[in-house]
Amino acid sequence: MQPVIKARSLRKIYGNNKALDGVDLDLLPGRILGLIGPNGAGKTTLLKSILGLAPVDGDISVLGMDPRRQRTQLLEQVSFIADTAILPRWLKVKQALEYLAGVHPRFDKNRAQVFLQRTQIQMDSTVRQLSKGMLTQLHLALIMAIDSKLLVLDEPTLGLDILYRKQFYSALLEDYFDEGKTILITTHQVEEIENLLTDVVFIKNGRFNLNIAMDELHSRYTELRVTDEHVPQAQALNPIHSRPMLGGRAMIFESADRAALRALGEIKTPGLADLFVAKMQEGASHA
Amino acid sequence: MQDPWKDDQPIYRQLHERILGLILKSALKEGEAIPSVRQVASDYQINHLTVAKAYQELVDAGLVEKRRGLGMFVLPGAREKVAASERDKFRHQELPQLVARARQLGIAEAELIKMISKVMKESD
Repeated sequence: MQPVIKARSLRKIYGNNKALDGVDLDLLPGRILGLIGPNGAGKTTLLKSILGLAPVDGDISVLGMDPRRQRTQLLEQVSFIADTAILPRWLKVKQALEYLAGVHPRFDKNRAQVFLQRTQIQMDSTVRQLSKGMLTQLHLALIMAIDSKLLVLDEPTLGLDILYRKQFYSALLEDYFDEGKTILITTHQVEEIENLLTDVVFIKNGRFNLNIAMDELHSRYTELRVTDEHVPQAQALNPIHSRPMLGGRAMIFESADRAALRALGEIKTPGLADLFVAKMQEGASHA
Repeated sequence: MQDPWKDDQPIYRQLHERILGLILKSALKEGEAIPSVRQVASDYQINHLTVAKAYQELVDAGLVEKRRGLGMFVLPGAREKVAASERDKFRHQELPQLVARARQLGIAEAELIKMISKVMKESD
Protein backbone atom coordinates (compact mmCIF):
# COMPACT_ATOMS: atom_id res chain seq x y z
CA MET A 1 0.00 0.00 0.00
CA GLN A 2 1.23 3.47 -0.93
CA PRO A 3 1.75 5.56 2.22
CA VAL A 4 -0.30 8.74 2.51
CA ILE A 5 2.62 10.45 4.21
CA LYS A 6 6.23 9.42 3.84
CA ALA A 7 8.84 11.62 5.49
CA ARG A 8 12.55 11.09 6.00
CA SER A 9 15.01 13.14 8.07
CA LEU A 10 12.80 16.20 8.36
CA ARG A 11 14.62 19.14 9.86
CA LYS A 12 13.54 22.66 10.66
CA ILE A 13 15.50 25.17 12.69
CA TYR A 14 14.18 28.48 14.01
CA GLY A 15 17.24 30.39 15.27
CA ASN A 16 18.77 28.15 17.93
CA ASN A 17 15.63 26.08 18.29
CA LYS A 18 15.39 22.74 16.49
CA ALA A 19 11.64 22.51 15.83
CA LEU A 20 12.17 19.27 13.89
CA ASP A 21 15.36 17.35 14.47
CA GLY A 22 15.47 14.45 12.01
CA VAL A 23 11.97 12.98 11.92
CA ASP A 24 10.82 9.92 9.91
CA LEU A 25 7.14 9.13 9.41
CA ASP A 26 5.12 6.60 7.41
CA LEU A 27 1.34 6.82 7.52
CA LEU A 28 -0.80 4.35 5.58
CA PRO A 29 -4.34 4.92 4.26
CA GLY A 30 -7.20 4.09 6.62
CA ARG A 31 -5.22 4.96 9.75
CA ILE A 32 -5.92 7.51 12.49
CA LEU A 33 -2.65 8.88 13.85
CA GLY A 34 -2.42 10.87 17.06
CA LEU A 35 0.53 13.26 17.28
CA ILE A 36 1.08 14.05 20.91
CA GLY A 37 3.63 16.29 22.53
CA PRO A 38 4.07 19.20 24.92
CA ASN A 39 3.76 22.79 23.70
CA GLY A 40 6.70 23.76 21.53
CA ALA A 41 7.68 20.15 20.79
CA GLY A 42 7.35 20.61 17.01
CA LYS A 43 3.79 19.37 16.39
CA THR A 44 2.57 22.38 14.47
CA THR A 45 5.84 22.64 12.49
CA LEU A 46 5.39 19.04 11.39
CA LEU A 47 1.77 19.65 10.37
CA LYS A 48 2.82 22.76 8.45
CA SER A 49 5.53 20.83 6.63
CA ILE A 50 2.99 18.16 5.64
CA LEU A 51 0.62 20.83 4.34
CA GLY A 52 3.35 22.71 2.51
CA LEU A 53 2.88 25.75 4.74
CA ALA A 54 6.45 25.78 6.06
CA PRO A 55 9.63 24.89 4.15
CA VAL A 56 11.59 22.05 5.75
CA ASP A 57 14.77 20.14 4.96
CA GLY A 58 14.55 16.46 4.19
CA ASP A 59 12.37 14.22 2.02
CA ILE A 60 8.62 14.47 2.27
CA SER A 61 5.87 13.09 0.12
CA VAL A 62 2.14 13.46 0.83
CA LEU A 63 -0.30 11.54 -1.39
CA GLY A 64 2.64 11.09 -3.72
CA MET A 65 3.26 14.83 -4.02
CA ASP A 66 5.91 17.17 -2.67
CA PRO A 67 4.06 19.66 -0.46
CA ARG A 68 6.78 22.24 -1.06
CA ARG A 69 6.30 22.30 -4.82
CA GLN A 70 2.75 20.97 -5.44
CA ARG A 71 0.84 22.62 -2.64
CA THR A 72 -2.20 23.76 -4.63
CA GLN A 73 -2.72 20.32 -6.15
CA LEU A 74 -2.13 18.68 -2.78
CA LEU A 75 -4.60 20.86 -0.90
CA GLU A 76 -7.40 19.73 -3.21
CA GLN A 77 -7.18 16.38 -1.45
CA VAL A 78 -6.22 17.43 2.06
CA SER A 79 -8.50 19.08 4.63
CA PHE A 80 -7.16 20.97 7.59
CA ILE A 81 -8.64 22.46 10.74
CA ALA A 82 -6.22 24.81 12.46
CA ASP A 83 -6.30 25.33 16.19
CA THR A 84 -6.97 29.02 15.74
CA ALA A 85 -10.21 30.21 14.20
CA ILE A 86 -9.40 31.49 10.74
CA LEU A 87 -12.82 32.39 9.36
CA PRO A 88 -13.41 36.17 9.18
CA ARG A 89 -15.83 37.28 11.87
CA TRP A 90 -18.14 39.18 9.51
CA LEU A 91 -18.67 36.15 7.22
CA LYS A 92 -22.15 34.61 7.13
CA VAL A 93 -22.46 30.84 7.29
CA LYS A 94 -24.12 30.67 3.89
CA GLN A 95 -21.35 32.85 2.44
CA ALA A 96 -18.73 30.44 3.78
CA LEU A 97 -20.52 27.62 1.97
CA GLU A 98 -20.82 29.61 -1.26
CA TYR A 99 -17.19 30.63 -1.11
CA LEU A 100 -15.93 27.07 -0.68
CA ALA A 101 -18.25 25.82 -3.41
CA GLY A 102 -16.66 28.45 -5.65
CA VAL A 103 -13.00 27.77 -4.88
CA HIS A 104 -12.83 24.07 -3.98
CA PRO A 105 -13.36 21.50 -6.73
CA ARG A 106 -14.15 18.70 -4.26
CA PHE A 107 -16.54 20.60 -1.96
CA ASP A 108 -20.14 19.32 -1.80
CA LYS A 109 -22.30 22.19 -0.55
CA ASN A 110 -25.29 19.93 -0.07
CA ARG A 111 -23.40 17.70 2.35
CA ALA A 112 -22.36 20.71 4.43
CA GLN A 113 -25.98 21.90 4.58
CA VAL A 114 -27.27 18.50 5.66
CA PHE A 115 -24.67 18.40 8.42
CA LEU A 116 -25.47 21.94 9.57
CA GLN A 117 -29.19 21.13 9.77
CA ARG A 118 -28.39 18.82 12.66
CA THR A 119 -26.90 21.74 14.61
CA GLN A 120 -28.29 25.01 15.98
CA ILE A 121 -26.36 26.99 13.39
CA GLN A 122 -28.42 29.36 11.21
CA MET A 123 -27.41 30.02 7.61
CA ASP A 124 -27.79 33.78 8.17
CA SER A 125 -25.61 33.89 11.28
CA THR A 126 -22.23 35.54 11.05
CA VAL A 127 -19.12 33.85 12.41
CA ARG A 128 -19.08 36.51 15.15
CA GLN A 129 -22.46 35.29 16.48
CA LEU A 130 -21.42 31.65 16.83
CA SER A 131 -20.28 30.15 20.12
CA LYS A 132 -16.92 28.40 20.23
CA GLY A 133 -18.63 25.02 20.00
CA MET A 134 -20.75 26.11 17.03
CA LEU A 135 -17.70 27.48 15.29
CA THR A 136 -16.03 24.08 15.55
CA GLN A 137 -19.19 22.50 14.15
CA LEU A 138 -19.05 24.90 11.23
CA HIS A 139 -15.41 24.04 10.54
CA LEU A 140 -16.33 20.36 10.74
CA ALA A 141 -19.25 20.84 8.34
CA LEU A 142 -16.95 22.52 5.85
CA ILE A 143 -14.18 19.95 5.91
CA MET A 144 -16.52 16.94 5.98
CA ALA A 145 -18.13 18.18 2.80
CA ILE A 146 -14.75 18.03 1.09
CA ASP A 147 -14.01 14.66 -0.40
CA SER A 148 -10.43 14.65 0.86
CA LYS A 149 -8.05 11.75 1.34
CA LEU A 150 -6.19 13.19 4.31
CA LEU A 151 -7.66 15.20 7.14
CA VAL A 152 -5.31 17.12 9.42
CA LEU A 153 -6.68 18.35 12.74
CA ASP A 154 -4.63 20.61 14.99
CA GLU A 155 -6.10 20.63 18.50
CA PRO A 156 -9.63 20.45 17.05
CA THR A 157 -11.47 20.38 20.36
CA LEU A 158 -9.41 22.84 22.38
CA GLY A 159 -11.64 24.86 24.70
CA LEU A 160 -14.79 22.86 23.93
CA ASP A 161 -16.92 21.29 26.63
CA ILE A 162 -17.19 17.52 26.80
CA LEU A 163 -20.53 17.35 24.97
CA TYR A 164 -19.18 19.15 21.93
CA ARG A 165 -15.99 17.09 22.06
CA LYS A 166 -17.93 13.83 21.99
CA GLN A 167 -20.18 15.06 19.19
CA PHE A 168 -17.13 16.12 17.24
CA TYR A 169 -15.48 12.70 17.30
CA SER A 170 -18.74 10.84 16.74
CA ALA A 171 -19.45 12.91 13.64
CA LEU A 172 -15.91 12.41 12.45
CA LEU A 173 -16.17 8.63 12.69
CA GLU A 174 -19.70 8.36 11.37
CA ASP A 175 -19.83 10.93 8.61
CA TYR A 176 -16.26 11.39 7.46
CA PHE A 177 -13.97 8.50 8.13
CA ASP A 178 -13.77 5.34 6.06
CA GLU A 179 -11.03 2.96 5.07
CA GLY A 180 -9.94 5.12 2.15
CA LYS A 181 -9.35 8.13 4.36
CA THR A 182 -6.61 9.01 6.77
CA ILE A 183 -6.66 11.31 9.78
CA LEU A 184 -3.77 13.02 11.51
CA ILE A 185 -4.70 14.67 14.77
CA THR A 186 -2.85 16.58 17.46
CA THR A 187 -4.35 17.03 20.89
CA HIS A 188 -3.62 17.41 24.56
CA GLN A 189 -6.68 15.42 25.56
CA VAL A 190 -4.94 12.06 25.18
CA GLU A 191 -7.38 9.96 27.22
CA GLU A 192 -10.35 11.03 25.16
CA ILE A 193 -8.96 9.94 21.84
CA GLU A 194 -6.71 7.02 22.67
CA ASN A 195 -9.32 4.41 21.76
CA LEU A 196 -9.94 6.15 18.50
CA LEU A 197 -6.34 6.05 17.31
CA THR A 198 -4.77 3.29 15.25
CA ASP A 199 -1.27 4.79 15.59
CA VAL A 200 0.46 7.15 17.94
CA VAL A 201 3.55 9.37 17.84
CA PHE A 202 5.04 11.18 20.84
CA ILE A 203 7.18 14.17 19.96
CA LYS A 204 9.60 16.00 22.22
CA ASN A 205 12.18 18.64 21.31
CA GLY A 206 11.66 18.01 17.60
CA ARG A 207 12.22 14.24 17.82
CA PHE A 208 9.85 11.29 18.01
CA ASN A 209 10.34 9.23 21.14
CA LEU A 210 7.47 6.89 20.34
CA ASN A 211 6.06 5.89 16.94
CA ILE A 212 3.93 2.78 17.14
CA ALA A 213 0.68 1.13 16.06
CA MET A 214 -1.79 1.05 18.97
CA ASP A 215 -2.26 -2.71 18.70
CA GLU A 216 1.49 -3.20 19.17
CA LEU A 217 1.64 -1.18 22.38
CA HIS A 218 0.96 -4.23 24.52
CA SER A 219 3.94 -6.11 23.12
CA ARG A 220 6.38 -3.29 23.87
CA TYR A 221 5.08 -1.70 27.07
CA THR A 222 3.88 -3.23 30.29
CA GLU A 223 2.57 -1.54 33.40
CA LEU A 224 3.17 -3.39 36.64
CA ARG A 225 1.25 -2.64 39.81
CA VAL A 226 3.38 -3.82 42.62
CA THR A 227 2.95 -3.76 46.40
CA ASP A 228 5.68 -2.23 48.60
CA GLU A 229 7.29 -5.57 49.46
CA HIS A 230 8.10 -6.30 45.80
CA VAL A 231 9.18 -2.80 44.83
CA PRO A 232 12.95 -3.47 45.11
CA GLN A 233 12.73 -6.54 42.85
CA ALA A 234 10.64 -4.65 40.29
CA GLN A 235 12.99 -1.67 40.44
CA ALA A 236 15.88 -4.00 39.57
CA LEU A 237 14.19 -4.76 36.22
CA ASN A 238 14.70 -1.11 35.17
CA PRO A 239 11.28 0.47 34.73
CA ILE A 240 11.25 3.56 32.52
CA HIS A 241 8.86 5.20 34.95
CA SER A 242 7.53 4.64 38.43
CA ARG A 243 4.73 6.44 40.23
CA PRO A 244 3.29 5.94 43.70
CA MET A 245 -0.14 4.40 44.17
CA LEU A 246 -2.13 3.14 47.12
CA GLY A 247 -0.04 0.50 48.89
CA GLY A 248 2.72 0.33 46.30
CA ARG A 249 3.87 1.66 42.94
CA ALA A 250 2.84 1.53 39.29
CA MET A 251 5.85 1.02 37.04
CA ILE A 252 6.12 1.08 33.27
CA PHE A 253 8.58 -1.22 31.49
CA GLU A 254 9.80 -1.20 27.90
CA SER A 255 10.49 -4.48 26.07
CA ALA A 256 10.33 -6.40 29.33
CA ASP A 257 9.64 -10.07 29.97
CA ARG A 258 5.95 -10.13 30.87
CA ALA A 259 6.22 -13.46 32.66
CA ALA A 260 8.88 -12.11 35.02
CA LEU A 261 6.74 -9.07 35.76
CA ARG A 262 3.58 -11.10 36.29
CA ALA A 263 5.33 -12.90 39.14
CA LEU A 264 5.67 -9.57 40.98
CA GLY A 265 2.16 -8.15 40.71
CA GLU A 266 -0.68 -7.19 38.40
CA ILE A 267 0.25 -6.34 34.84
CA LYS A 268 -1.58 -4.52 32.07
CA THR A 269 -0.88 -2.39 29.03
CA PRO A 270 -0.32 1.22 30.13
CA GLY A 271 -2.78 3.92 29.12
CA LEU A 272 -1.47 6.52 26.70
CA ALA A 273 -1.58 9.32 29.26
CA ASP A 274 0.64 7.41 31.71
CA LEU A 275 2.94 6.29 28.93
CA PHE A 276 3.19 9.87 27.71
CA VAL A 277 4.29 11.09 31.14
CA ALA A 278 6.82 8.25 31.29
CA LYS A 279 8.31 8.96 27.87
CA MET A 280 8.45 12.72 28.42
CA GLN A 281 10.31 12.33 31.71
CA GLU A 282 12.57 9.55 30.45
CA GLY A 283 16.20 10.50 30.84
CA ALA A 284 15.30 13.74 32.59
CA SER A 285 16.28 12.50 36.04
CA HIS A 286 19.76 11.54 34.80
CA ALA A 287 20.37 14.82 32.98
CA MET B 1 -23.98 6.91 29.24
CA GLN B 2 -21.84 4.05 27.98
CA ASP B 3 -19.90 1.94 30.43
CA PRO B 4 -16.25 2.85 30.50
CA TRP B 5 -13.88 0.15 29.26
CA LYS B 6 -11.86 -1.71 31.83
CA ASP B 7 -8.12 -1.31 31.48
CA ASP B 8 -7.05 -4.92 32.11
CA GLN B 9 -8.14 -6.25 28.70
CA PRO B 10 -7.93 -4.96 25.14
CA ILE B 11 -11.10 -3.19 24.03
CA TYR B 12 -11.77 -5.56 21.14
CA ARG B 13 -11.97 -8.44 23.66
CA GLN B 14 -14.40 -6.49 25.82
CA LEU B 15 -16.51 -5.55 22.81
CA HIS B 16 -16.50 -9.20 21.75
CA GLU B 17 -17.69 -10.23 25.25
CA ARG B 18 -20.40 -7.60 25.17
CA ILE B 19 -21.77 -8.90 21.89
CA LEU B 20 -21.71 -12.47 23.22
CA GLY B 21 -23.76 -11.20 26.16
CA LEU B 22 -26.29 -9.60 23.81
CA ILE B 23 -26.61 -12.80 21.78
CA LEU B 24 -27.03 -14.80 24.97
CA LYS B 25 -29.95 -12.71 26.22
CA SER B 26 -31.36 -12.53 22.67
CA ALA B 27 -30.98 -8.77 22.48
CA LEU B 28 -29.29 -9.65 19.20
CA LYS B 29 -31.46 -12.35 17.66
CA GLU B 30 -30.45 -15.11 15.28
CA GLY B 31 -31.00 -14.01 11.71
CA GLU B 32 -30.81 -10.32 12.62
CA ALA B 33 -28.15 -7.83 11.61
CA ILE B 34 -25.64 -6.54 14.14
CA PRO B 35 -24.73 -2.82 14.05
CA SER B 36 -22.21 -1.80 11.38
CA VAL B 37 -18.54 -1.33 12.20
CA ARG B 38 -18.90 2.37 11.50
CA GLN B 39 -21.91 2.70 13.81
CA VAL B 40 -20.19 0.98 16.71
CA ALA B 41 -16.97 2.95 16.13
CA SER B 42 -18.91 6.20 16.25
CA ASP B 43 -21.12 5.23 19.22
CA TYR B 44 -18.18 4.20 21.38
CA GLN B 45 -15.57 6.52 19.85
CA ILE B 46 -13.20 3.67 19.15
CA ASN B 47 -11.38 3.04 15.90
CA HIS B 48 -12.81 0.84 13.16
CA LEU B 49 -9.93 -1.65 13.37
CA THR B 50 -10.84 -2.43 16.97
CA VAL B 51 -14.45 -3.09 15.99
CA ALA B 52 -13.44 -5.09 12.92
CA LYS B 53 -11.16 -7.25 15.06
CA ALA B 54 -13.97 -8.03 17.51
CA TYR B 55 -16.32 -8.84 14.62
CA GLN B 56 -13.75 -11.06 12.91
CA GLU B 57 -13.57 -13.21 16.04
CA LEU B 58 -17.34 -13.63 15.92
CA VAL B 59 -17.05 -14.72 12.31
CA ASP B 60 -14.22 -17.14 13.14
CA ALA B 61 -16.29 -18.63 15.95
CA GLY B 62 -19.16 -19.25 13.50
CA LEU B 63 -21.53 -16.92 15.34
CA VAL B 64 -22.08 -14.27 12.68
CA GLU B 65 -21.58 -14.10 8.96
CA LYS B 66 -20.82 -11.29 6.60
CA ARG B 67 -23.28 -10.81 3.74
CA ARG B 68 -21.77 -8.72 1.01
CA GLY B 69 -23.27 -5.25 0.91
CA LEU B 70 -25.73 -6.01 3.69
CA GLY B 71 -23.61 -6.26 6.82
CA MET B 72 -23.11 -8.85 9.54
CA PHE B 73 -25.86 -11.26 10.64
CA VAL B 74 -26.24 -13.53 13.65
CA LEU B 75 -26.25 -17.15 12.45
CA PRO B 76 -28.86 -19.75 13.46
CA GLY B 77 -27.64 -21.75 16.45
CA ALA B 78 -25.40 -18.88 17.63
CA ARG B 79 -27.21 -18.49 20.95
CA GLU B 80 -26.75 -22.12 21.93
CA LYS B 81 -23.08 -22.02 20.91
CA VAL B 82 -22.51 -18.96 23.10
CA ALA B 83 -24.44 -20.53 25.98
CA ALA B 84 -22.35 -23.70 25.76
CA SER B 85 -19.04 -21.86 25.80
CA GLU B 86 -20.19 -19.54 28.60
CA ARG B 87 -21.25 -22.54 30.70
CA ASP B 88 -17.82 -23.98 30.10
CA LYS B 89 -16.22 -20.71 31.17
CA PHE B 90 -18.38 -20.60 34.30
CA ARG B 91 -17.39 -24.12 35.23
CA HIS B 92 -13.67 -23.72 34.61
CA GLN B 93 -12.95 -20.10 35.41
CA GLU B 94 -15.65 -18.32 37.36
CA LEU B 95 -16.52 -21.11 39.74
CA PRO B 96 -12.90 -21.82 40.76
CA GLN B 97 -12.48 -18.08 41.39
CA LEU B 98 -15.54 -18.06 43.62
CA VAL B 99 -14.27 -21.08 45.55
CA ALA B 100 -10.83 -19.54 45.96
CA ARG B 101 -12.42 -16.36 47.30
CA ALA B 102 -14.53 -18.36 49.76
CA ARG B 103 -11.40 -20.16 50.98
CA GLN B 104 -9.59 -16.87 51.41
CA LEU B 105 -12.45 -15.70 53.64
CA GLY B 106 -12.52 -18.96 55.65
CA ILE B 107 -15.92 -20.09 54.36
CA ALA B 108 -16.16 -23.88 54.58
CA GLU B 109 -17.56 -26.07 51.80
CA ALA B 110 -20.82 -26.93 53.55
CA GLU B 111 -21.39 -23.28 54.40
CA LEU B 112 -20.71 -22.19 50.79
CA ILE B 113 -23.15 -24.78 49.43
CA LYS B 114 -25.77 -23.58 51.91
CA MET B 115 -25.22 -19.98 50.82
CA ILE B 116 -25.56 -20.89 47.14
CA SER B 117 -28.79 -22.80 47.73
CA LYS B 118 -30.21 -19.87 49.65
CA VAL B 119 -29.33 -17.34 46.94
CA MET B 120 -30.76 -19.60 44.25
CA LYS B 121 -34.04 -20.00 46.14
CA GLU B 122 -34.30 -16.26 46.77
CA SER B 123 -33.79 -15.40 43.11
CA ASP B 124 -36.32 -17.95 41.82
